[in-house]
Amino acid sequence: MIALIRFRFAAFVRSHRVFQPVLGVFVVLGLLYASGVPLGNELSSYADSAAILVPVFAWAARGLLDNEPDEQRMIARAAVGRGEQAGGLVAAFACNLLLAAFALVWPLLTGFAALPGADVLLIGALLHLLSVIGGTVLGALTSRPLLPSPAISLIALLGGYIGILVVGSGSVWVFPAMSWMRAANHGELTAHLPAIIASATLWSLAGLAAYGWLRRTRP
Amino acid sequence: MRVSELYFRYRRNDPWVLTEVALDLAPGSVIEVAGPNGTGKSTLLRLLAGLLQPTKGTISGRPALVGYAPERFPAAQPFTVAGYLRHMAAVRGLAPEVIEEWTARLRMDHLLGQRLPDLSKGSAHKVGLAQALFCSPGLLILDEPFAGLDQATRAEVALAVERLAADGGIVVASDHQGDLRGLPGVIRYEVRESRVWRREVEEAAEPLVTVSVRLPLSRAGLLTARLRAEGHEPLLDQDPALNQDPSFNPSSAQDHSLSPDHSLSREPLLGQEAE
Repeated sequence: MIALIRFRFAAFVRSHRVFQPVLGVFVVLGLLYASGVPLGNELSSYADSAAILVPVFAWAARGLLDNEPDEQRMIARAAVGRGEQAGGLVAAFACNLLLAAFALVWPLLTGFAALPGADVLLIGALLHLLSVIGGTVLGALTSRPLLPSPAISLIALLGGYIGILVVGSGSVWVFPAMSWMRAANHGELTAHLPAIIASATLWSLAGLAAYGWLRRTRP
Repeated sequence: MRVSELYFRYRRNDPWVLTEVALDLAPGSVIEVAGPNGTGKSTLLRLLAGLLQPTKGTISGRPALVGYAPERFPAAQPFTVAGYLRHMAAVRGLAPEVIEEWTARLRMDHLLGQRLPDLSKGSAHKVGLAQALFCSPGLLILDEPFAGLDQATRAEVALAVERLAADGGIVVASDHQGDLRGLPGVIRYEVRESRVWRREVEEAAEPLVTVSVRLPLSRAGLLTARLRAEGHEPLLDQDPALNQDPSFNPSSAQDHSLSPDHSLSREPLLGQEAE
């Protein structure tokens, strides 16, 4: 499994397709932190970055999964069985963790007026982790085995994210990217955190289950 | 390995690609799957390999280790041949030494440093075969394994198939070229009209011909070995002029009967001869 993850990661990097999401992260972070973050607003900045990066993480996951030719996926499936699916997901997740680490470190170097406390860093990391998981699942659900048309896949990816933002403004029980942004901006994030974690976990698990179920008949 | 009452279609409401397929694949068997293009040969192979799930019916007793060589190797990958094979060996949990063995046998050592997208069709096909063969699978699925290969490699692949079967493996290959037909005990199936039919070897009904080849004595040994590997029965005969040459010793080349020309025949003549 480790070897398969390494293989897919290497293919993603060597094909240079990895630069697309890296560029996406650069653009988001550049815009977000261009004018600096006033003292005390670090958590809401992290919350915004985690929510805005969801489609970039989805794009990276979809790019990594679709980078593999269909016949190569068959070869991998012959070698490791259904572990091929898990291998792809873990490789995409690992790639997104690196991008998220970058998003966490960037404002510490340029953006934040002062180094925030450990609690802000911890909650920021947690929100980015939820974002990585949600983005990876969204990317997997729009990858080529499930949506062979690139146009439909891209519309589904962006539409899915916009849907999350639009519908999620009313309830925490939609994937809670909108909820954590609003709660952080109102200084209520700590109070809402358990519901946000529960909702994000439920949606991610449901997405993973759907991916596994759909891939049974779509190798 | 047993296939029972298998039905397959790609999507609901699509026409069936395969219906009522029942196969019994004993260990050590070599199965050749023939049939017109687009009738479902590759689909059948993928079902057997476990890459597709039957819509109805079951496949049971599949060996744990499956080797799969696709019809078209996916060459659009950012690796060299050596890099790709190293990754694939690692995915299979194999030591890198197996790569050398198979690249030598498939005569592709000179390709190791080349990038996959730069390979010719035949060379890329060899990479696909190498990754399927080097794990010594219990079930080997080869989709058109001989297409685009040079003669020597075709003979080597046929030999590898024969050895794998002798070790108790199951080999299933779709084959338009008929390169496997020379192997003993090959079972032939034909996919036609979404059914899989057992075909008896109908060689006897076909007229037989003798193909004569004249070539320098020094190359005769290699050619007869290749032809034998492909299942033919070459007869090595010498020119009458050479009979007087005391340096020529037919038994040192090949132990075959003599006749007035260099005739390499599959069967005794049945009245037709092609030169």
